Amino acid sequence: MKKINILLALCLSLCLSFSWAQSPKGSVLIKNGTVLTVTNGTYENTDVLIQDGVIKKIGKDLNAPSGVTTVDATGKYVMPGIIDAHSHVALDVVNEATAPIVAEVRMKDVVNPYEIGIYRALAGGVTISHAMHGSANVVGGQNATLKHRWGSSNPEDIIMQDAPRTIKFALGENPTRVHGRGNGIQPRSRMGVEAILRNGFSEALQYKKAWEDFNKAKSQKGSNAVAPEYNERLQTLVDILDGKIIIHCHSYRADEIYMLINVAKDFGIKKLVFQHTNEGFKVAPEIAEYTMGASVFADWWAYKFEVYYSTAFNAAILQKNGALTSINSDSAELIRHLYHEAAKTQRYGNLTDDEALAMITINPARQLGIGDKVGSLEEGKHGDVAIFEGHPLSSYAIPQMTFVDGVKYFDIKEDQDDQRQQVSPTETVEPILLTEHNHRCMQDTEHLFETASALFQMNQ
Amino acid sequence: MPIPKNPGKDFINQINTHMKKPLWKTGLLGLCAWGLFGSGTLFAQSDPTGQKPITQTYAFTNATVHASPGSEGQKATIVVKDGVIISVGSGVTIPAAAKVIAGDSLYIYPGFIDAASQAGITKPEDPERPSDFVSSNPPDEIAGITPWRSATDQFDISSSQVDELRKAGFTMAHLLPDGGMIAGKSTIMVLGTKGSTNLIKANTALAASLNGSRGMYPGTTVGVMAKFRDVYKNTSLTQDRMAAFASNSGVSRPEINPTYSAMTEVVNGQIPVFFEVENDLEVRRAISLQKELGFKLVVYGLEQYDKVIDLLKSSGTGVILKLDTPADKAIKNQKNDVDEAVQAQYDRVKESYDRTIAQAGKLAEAGVPFAFSTIDAKPSDAMKSLRAMIEAGLTESAAMAALTTNAASMIGMNRIAGTVEQGKLANLVITTGPIFSEDSQIKHVVADGSIFDYEIKTKMKNGNGEATVEVAGTWDYTSETPAGSSGGKLTIEKDGDDYSGTITYDDPSGNGTATSPISDVSISGSQLSFSFEVSAGGMAISVSVSGEISGNSMDGSMNIAQFGSFPISATRNPNFISNN
Repeated sequence: MKKINILLALCLSLCLSFSWAQSPKGSVLIKNGTVLTVTNGTYENTDVLIQDGVIKKIGKDLNAPSGVTTVDATGKYVMPGIIDAHSHVALDVVNEATAPIVAEVRMKDVVNPYEIGIYRALAGGVTISHAMHGSANVVGGQNATLKHRWGSSNPEDIIMQDAPRTIKFALGENPTRVHGRGNGIQPRSRMGVEAILRNGFSEALQYKKAWEDFNKAKSQKGSNAVAPEYNERLQTLVDILDGKIIIHCHSYRADEIYMLINVAKDFGIKKLVFQHTNEGFKVAPEIAEYTMGASVFADWWAYKFEVYYSTAFNAAILQKNGALTSINSDSAELIRHLYHEAAKTQRYGNLTDDEALAMITINPARQLGIGDKVGSLEEGKHGDVAIFEGHPLSSYAIPQMTFVDGVKYFDIKEDQDDQRQQVSPTETVEPILLTEHNHRCMQDTEHLFETASALFQMNQ
Repeated sequence: MPIPKNPGKDFINQINTHMKKPLWKTGLLGLCAWGLFGSGTLFAQSDPTGQKPITQTYAFTNATVHASPGSEGQKATIVVKDGVIISVGSGVTIPAAAKVIAGDSLYIYPGFIDAASQAGITKPEDPERPSDFVSSNPPDEIAGITPWRSATDQFDISSSQVDELRKAGFTMAHLLPDGGMIAGKSTIMVLGTKGSTNLIKANTALAASLNGSRGMYPGTTVGVMAKFRDVYKNTSLTQDRMAAFASNSGVSRPEINPTYSAMTEVVNGQIPVFFEVENDLEVRRAISLQKELGFKLVVYGLEQYDKVIDLLKSSGTGVILKLDTPADKAIKNQKNDVDEAVQAQYDRVKESYDRTIAQAGKLAEAGVPFAFSTIDAKPSDAMKSLRAMIEAGLTESAAMAALTTNAASMIGMNRIAGTVEQGKLANLVITTGPIFSEDSQIKHVVADGSIFDYEIKTKMKNGNGEATVEVAGTWDYTSETPAGSSGGKLTIEKDGDDYSGTITYDDPSGNGTATSPISDVSISGSQLSFSFEVSAGGMAISVSVSGEISGNSMDGSMNIAQFGSFPISATRNPNFISNN
């Protein structure tokens, strides 16, 4: 164990120092825009100064320090970079769908900084996305929080190294279909899902105790204690129980949402966010009381049975009940216009501008555990900024520029026809995935789902 | 009484099967002894096959010898005896037993070494799934975790793939077993005659990849990386437990399983891990595992790597490039008179193509020593690929080093292979011209002291590089694949300036014959190439064929995507109907 600890520590320090040295930081003075801070109100004709990647000052008539470029935002809107709490962009693998619990897999291992989706997201003002494992497992893999530093070839550069660990959970039809129906093992039902979770955490407690006993015995003189088997799957569950990892749980129905709240209570788990949360409006007070809130679609539903009881008022109801609420994309297409998605909460729920914008900025930031660093325009926070022509909640909004850590990665005036980082040497026209807008949540497991036509034939 | 058709061959096969198992178990010492009287035993006094060479001593006189990468060619005579180079120089004595080969017009180079090869390797069949099989927790052997397997057991020297590799100048191969994420241990073979096991050293490295198992855990790269960490750390812990068990009383018996036992040499740093990677992202994944766990790492099969040249250098990772260049179809098919947008797209493809071919030169320039692998590459195209890399900036001496000395060092064989020197193994490539020149052809390959002769073709040249042979007609072809010998009809018709046609083959879905149209028919000199698609179980498998046409016969190879390359030969049916 000692050896492993040393190795891990060594690696951790290596990785960290390595990536910190790498990620670029920029300086820029954005002049005379309408500054939407989201957390501290809106200021007309105001400047935002970013120095070395950090927001240094927000105020009027600021001067650019020498060497700092100025961007004229007169008549434009300046808002915090948009944050997507549910995405699968820039991942080479989405699902390790083969076991009900795969807590040991790390999406950081398969980040692909070349994926064009990153640039498209930047073109929609999105600076941070939560690159999640898919929803085929009750406990999926550990996610990666990405900063959209487009142009780097090193995955370490686009991983937000100071973001806390998060993990994917999934309830309901997906895991029961993949494992129960597809492989004939538990879970076959929602009850099975709960059993998998309770058994998993109970096993994790035993695992934790086995190592604690070993480490205690080892320190005794003349001890001949031998180490238990190493199991990163259970160790990760232990880390969840110890509060080191935030759960982001794919869920639709109110009963299963309430089930997970009870499981979390029983095991003393506090860091829990619900994803999709289609029937969140039915259990909004419970979500508000016990969890870090819900991340929902504005109005995307009816793509399978458990997603039929739906309302476009979901986000607003959750918000009005005091639940921390965000709106996400789960799609390489929707991610390009999350500002439109947020605006729908004004049509369906009459949220204020700040409340609607919070759904795609500070709220998802808090759910990812990075609310102290990003998600609003405040002095001392990261220089992640999007500039819009037209108010971002207007139907006529057009993103103009996007900055991450003060570095400009998108400018509509410099947008090229072909923004690909990598081009195949052997194909003139590379294959285009026409289903890109569909869920990648269930990538590689589609065969387990009946098509509509097959269902019709079955009922004949 | 039935008389065996070919008693000699059966005799050799019997010896092979008898010898195979115990041989490497007796270790290197036993092997040396075998080598000394090996050939004598094998062919005995009488040799009904007629295969036994008259002598094991050869002299190549007065040839231009390039003894090591970058060295000037010098006129010299080389004498080899019993598999060893016994002298190199201008005034050497030629033993009376030597067969003399006049080398006046020939060029001699050290035999090439394939640093990561699967020529002649057949994957063992997966064991049957147990009745209580659960895909979320499969037994290691079914999940592709088989570190105890050895390439030695999977290798067959008489495979046509070995012939093809040798014909391209390779005399030694570091053979990796075929399998899943941890396929097993590699072995080093000399590509000698069929009468020997040709084993030099077994269990030299562990072969690993990021490929998941189909339909079970670990199924994807994320799962594989997690499982690799798990196997590695538990091997280490098992060792600690075994040590405690061996030296103390009152310790529970450690659970020892074949996976952890076979991983011990890797965890202890005795042998490196050869990780299969294709591009820069996979290089980074393998290096991140290496940094986290601490094993010795060699990456092989690289195709796209210019973004990680600095990382490869700073991490000290061993590098083995795929000996291949990308297909230039997309470049050749670019049309003239296109609009600006399409032209911009063309330019990017061309730029990507040029950049890909220039990578090897950049890697050498950065001072990273590398070797080559022929896995998933066609050995018969090796020279073409090397010439393209050289044209794009790789120096000839760096190319030669990759084929010989670098490869020898990487697999720990530089004491006995990689250069033409007295005392080294008699592994040579003998060509009709300077090796990388367009017209040069391989005339002989000496491997393990045995000489293999190849036919020299006189090329008919046409200044415009246009088709010089007529390919239209109906051809009968046969091919050899691991599934056996098969064949069919190939019909090629001239269609204006282009060619079209069809090919028949045994229907993979059952009985009968299937037909597919052929496409991309191209003729360059006497070289014909075309491709077609076979539909098998709902999947389209692409097959590309290339061959040398001489009169009414064709010899070449057939490359089946993901399965490898197999020999094909064809003859044209006489045309009885006049075209006039």
